[in-house]
Amino acid sequence: MPRGQAAYPCAEACDDDRMQRTRGKAKRTTHPAARSLADDLRQRTDAQLAALLLARPDLARPAPADLVALAARATTRTSVQRALERLDRGQLQAVEALLVASEPQPSGAAAVADVEALLGADPAAALDGLWEVGLLWWSPAGPHPVRAVADVLGPHPGGLGIRAAEVAPEYAASSPPSPADLPGVVADAPPAARAILDSLTWGPPIGTVPPSGPAHDGAAWLVQRGLCAPSGIGHVCLVREVALALRGGRIHRKPLVAAPELDNAAVDPAVVERVAGASARDLLDHLDQLGDLWTANPPRVLRSGALGVRDLAALARDVDLEPPHAAWLAELALAASLIVDDGELIPAFTPTPEFDVWRSRSAGARWASVAQAWWESPRAAYLVGTQGAGGATVGALGQQVRWPAVRGVRADVLRELAALPAGSAPTPESVTERVTWRRPLADRRTLTEATVAVLREADWLGATALGALSGLGRGLAVGASSAHLAESADGTLPPSVDHVLLQADLTAIAPGPLDGALGRFMRLVSDVESRGGATVLRLSAESVRRALDSGWTADEVLDTLRVSSRTPVPQPLDYLVRDVARLHGQTRVGGATAYIRSDDEAVLATLLTDRALSRALLRRIAPTVLVSQSDPAVLVELLRAGGYSPARETFDGVVVVDRPTPRRARPTQARGIPEPTLPTLTAAAARSLVAALRAAPERPVAGAPPRGPLSGTPQQTSSLLRQAVSDSLSLWIGYADSNGRTARHLVRPVRIEGGRVYAVSGESDAEQLYLLHRITGAAPV
Amino acid sequence: MTGGPLIVQSDKTLLLEVDHAGAEAARRDIAPFAELERAPEHIHTYRVTPLGLWNARAAGHDAEQVIDALLRHSRYAVPQALLVDVAETMARYGRLTIEKDPAHGLVLRTTDRPVLEEVLRHRRIEPLLGERIDPDTILVHPSERGHLKQQLLKIGWPAEDLAGYVDGEAHPITLREEGWTMRPYQRQAVEGFWHGGSGVVVLPCGAGKTIVGAGAMAAAGATTLILVTNTVAARQWKDELLRRTSLSEKEIGEYSGTRKEIRPVTIATYQVLSVRRRGVYPHLELLDARDWGLVVYDEVHLLPAPIFRMTADLQARRRLGLTATLVREDGREGDVFSLIGPKRFDAPWKDIEAQGWIAPADCVEVRVTLGQGERMAYAVAEADDRYRLASCTPGKERVVQDLVARHTGEPTLVIGQYLDQLATLAERLEAPLITGETSVAERQRLFDAFRSGEVGLLVVSKVANFSIDLPEASVAIQVSGTFGSRQEEAQRLGRVLRPKGDGRTAHFYTIVSRDTVDADYAAHRQRFLAEQGYAYRIVDADDLSQESGPDGRR
Repeated sequence: MPRGQAAYPCAEACDDDRMQRTRGKAKRTTHPAARSLADDLRQRTDAQLAALLLARPDLARPAPADLVALAARATTRTSVQRALERLDRGQLQAVEALLVASEPQPSGAAAVADVEALLGADPAAALDGLWEVGLLWWSPAGPHPVRAVADVLGPHPGGLGIRAAEVAPEYAASSPPSPADLPGVVADAPPAARAILDSLTWGPPIGTVPPSGPAHDGAAWLVQRGLCAPSGIGHVCLVREVALALRGGRIHRKPLVAAPELDNAAVDPAVVERVAGASARDLLDHLDQLGDLWTANPPRVLRSGALGVRDLAALARDVDLEPPHAAWLAELALAASLIVDDGELIPAFTPTPEFDVWRSRSAGARWASVAQAWWESPRAAYLVGTQGAGGATVGALGQQVRWPAVRGVRADVLRELAALPAGSAPTPESVTERVTWRRPLADRRTLTEATVAVLREADWLGATALGALSGLGRGLAVGASSAHLAESADGTLPPSVDHVLLQADLTAIAPGPLDGALGRFMRLVSDVESRGGATVLRLSAESVRRALDSGWTADEVLDTLRVSSRTPVPQPLDYLVRDVARLHGQTRVGGATAYIRSDDEAVLATLLTDRALSRALLRRIAPTVLVSQSDPAVLVELLRAGGYSPARETFDGVVVVDRPTPRRARPTQARGIPEPTLPTLTAAAARSLVAALRAAPERPVAGAPPRGPLSGTPQQTSSLLRQAVSDSLSLWIGYADSNGRTARHLVRPVRIEGGRVYAVSGESDAEQLYLLHRITGAAPV
Repeated sequence: MTGGPLIVQSDKTLLLEVDHAGAEAARRDIAPFAELERAPEHIHTYRVTPLGLWNARAAGHDAEQVIDALLRHSRYAVPQALLVDVAETMARYGRLTIEKDPAHGLVLRTTDRPVLEEVLRHRRIEPLLGERIDPDTILVHPSERGHLKQQLLKIGWPAEDLAGYVDGEAHPITLREEGWTMRPYQRQAVEGFWHGGSGVVVLPCGAGKTIVGAGAMAAAGATTLILVTNTVAARQWKDELLRRTSLSEKEIGEYSGTRKEIRPVTIATYQVLSVRRRGVYPHLELLDARDWGLVVYDEVHLLPAPIFRMTADLQARRRLGLTATLVREDGREGDVFSLIGPKRFDAPWKDIEAQGWIAPADCVEVRVTLGQGERMAYAVAEADDRYRLASCTPGKERVVQDLVARHTGEPTLVIGQYLDQLATLAERLEAPLITGETSVAERQRLFDAFRSGEVGLLVVSKVANFSIDLPEASVAIQVSGTFGSRQEEAQRLGRVLRPKGDGRTAHFYTIVSRDTVDADYAAHRQRFLAEQGYAYRIVDADDLSQESGPDGRR
């Protein structure tokens, strides 16, 4: 899946809104100064800690042993990465400003005033938000970003280049001009240099320099005046201070601390509910049709695991939907386990037993179950038909449709709508704008595409209508239980009717949805001809025969029709049913394993009364034919033992006919890969975890020189190592050699990459390699 | 829920509950854009098609009216997609217009440039167009006017033809309203047609389509070519024109298999124009024989393919189509739309009802059981012979006799296909037999006698049945027959079984053999008749004798 799977938070998206709700609500209190993040965490209230865990559930899974472990985990690169991905654009801008403001400071903390200047807006609320999610802590000098933030954001936060102080001395031909002098210098710049400045100002700060020509000269001019610094061969980097000055002292073109407005149109909520109900009803009908179609004719599973393009087109044609809508329908059926790859020798997509159960439930319950399946499905149906990885077209129901991040998009979109009063219909463009603001790190195009698709799918589902969220959609967005959803769906969906109208052209029309017993009966005894608000059903000899095959008698069929119909049963229909019944069962088919035939009826009569043959269970089906359930060989033996002299016949022509049962897949054989589900962290669980953390005795991590074997959790260890890298400090590590012996080394880690720690030990400058997984623990010197 | 009488289905059919209080209003509102497809007793089915929507658009209705009608009368929420589709479809009509440019002649003009670009890139359309005059206008070869419209309709961008018409050779025609006047709706139909230029007027059987034709001719005041289905219709037209207009016998010519007269008003049959010899249509020159100012097409829904082809070349002349239904068996409604023109007038339902269009005929299917021997014979027969075997069972004769006896005194026709069966029946019933071999004079004599009531019972073959001068009867008994076009069958049925002035019900009996192909055909007929709103019953031959007669007799 090339689509920025990592660039978008997915699994914990549902916890986001709590994060959003808590943000900005708490007015910034005076923060007691802390020495470290662990210290800061220790000073938080239980509620604040619980909020932190809820906002970053990865910290709570598995439960950390104590607050130090929690702090260590909160500063790992992965966790910080996840936390950053959940920030909206405003917070992200604040983080960048914070980082830029704090980097030149020896304390590592920034002054709030600097942050405000860089941001061009009041950062208080954003900083509070960042503090709540543990991305910064308040040192005595001011807000201090967690170290890993700098790692994750990379060397160019906000598209700014290296600081003047970092420029290698051999290139630092001259110090950059002061902000006051800068306009003058820039005004003198040759056009080529001016062009370079213009293109690098708003980032990315590194530009390629051709080996010769005016651009080369322009770059040289910039380097000479200290505006740019060479950055590798053939590249220049705009010095950070210069860029900031050119940007007018701010990092961002436009401070976007506040969320963009949604431009709302007002629609009548009652109409929204009606239209949504109709859409939901249509959806149930379509799924019904899909089930029927694929029961009769299960489409093959391609070798890629997907549904063939032709089968999808056939589905679209038969259900009368646009192909993308049909693909979504099939995906939804798969997500709701109504169909599955049956895993047979020639695999096909087949309705599951669950489909029959689903079909027998109330309309509301049916809708609730598919709606929840949609809500939780990690599959992005709109990708069907697009170019996937490797250039192949993405097939419906295939593996390439999987894109778990789409869950987050669904949650974002529906929650944005849910935050508005009922009957507000924001334009898709403004919803997209808002969602991309919420997720600044996600790929904008991918996210826009997904948002538009989600809005469309929500319409098909009945979660939205006319652009506004319906009551059903609201239920989904707030995570209502399935029982609750089912109940509200039952109220929204057009009520089912308890009668049909029978007509002489042998149609029955249900002037509304048909459910329950009558629905099942009508489906059995007739074929659906047209769907929509009403259902047009046609009774034919075949359909009536089907009912008779299922054990109904003509009188029962007619009585049920008479009772269910508002109009009298037309004479031709009455005649049809009786005519079919007259012919039904005229020929009988049964199974027997052996037969005895004789032209002499008396002989057969003797056999029937012979006690010795009673265990052969003989039955006379015609004057000259007996049948038995015994094996022919056994029967012959029995007869011989009884003193008869039977002759055995070859019997090719005994046909065993079973009533055909609809083809159903056994779930045990299903090949589908189970979706990993992450248990959601509930508020109660978070609170109890906080209590446990408080109660846990803290293991000493710093201070005392190490005695005995060094040990610690991998998170603690790697956090200590990273801290040592960034602070250029030495520390003790316990290291297991290839023989399993653990030795203690005093090292100064230089960098950590891909599970390897490069460190120098003692006075030597040579880097040595330590494998991270062999480091048993670490302790500061 | 509004509780309206209309239910909109996702397949774009509209179900109208006829017993609902609001049904009449709903019917009036949806009639301009939806075609009635089925009309059984409780729920009528209408279909919304692009053509229907464009017809409505051509008649001056806009999407808003259509959507409003759907929303107002619908019982449930109307699918959003359908409304969008309606609006989009209707918006496609009129983006392209065919006009007469004073400088360049016939041009295709657009109000929406991308549409023109799309159209120009079409393989089939590109050769029909000439030079580009300006970004929005392109030259059209006058000979391709019809083909262009046909092709544009096919790709979903129907053009509005505003190019006007040639006047044709003037020939004064006036209506002679002596002792009769044009009914208001007929006048409206003529006006609707005349202002629209060309197009189709939809009127039910018996609503006076000929008078609308005559009115149009009077409005045109030019030589007129009238195309009708067959010779009998041609004579009827002639009689009617002589009676209703200032035209004299000398001015009206008949162009048919037997006579080839070309006069200021010429009535030609489809049949003679469709005659093809060695790959050419020898009689098509009729079309250029005079400078016609008006071409009238009777029964547009039966218009054969060759006439469509020639109509494509007649685009500069005014064309009037007359029909009772726009539904065609062959699905060529699109060609009617693009070549003859959009629907210009549709009679209000109330008028149709006043005309007694809903035939109160009582259709009964009588099923006879084959004897044991016949069943065996049937079972082993070749597939080709089965139908004849099933149709000609002697069991039917007894039933016919029974029925004839029951309806003594009412004009009764026995219709069949197999001559030996009919001969046996005629003998047994002691009734005259008319087949294709009967001479015209003899046939005319028998028909006249039947009309006057002198003869109460006729046995006619399928061939005789096809002749349009078959007199009206109140009882028809069909013993065998194949089903060609259901539309045609129903029309013929309607003609034989006109509602009676004294309110008596007409009866139509079909006798079929149980469990044979005969019964399979019957199932089709049953469905079609029921959909047309005829009452339909199935009775066993054995029960028939027990059943009380139509007038309460046993």
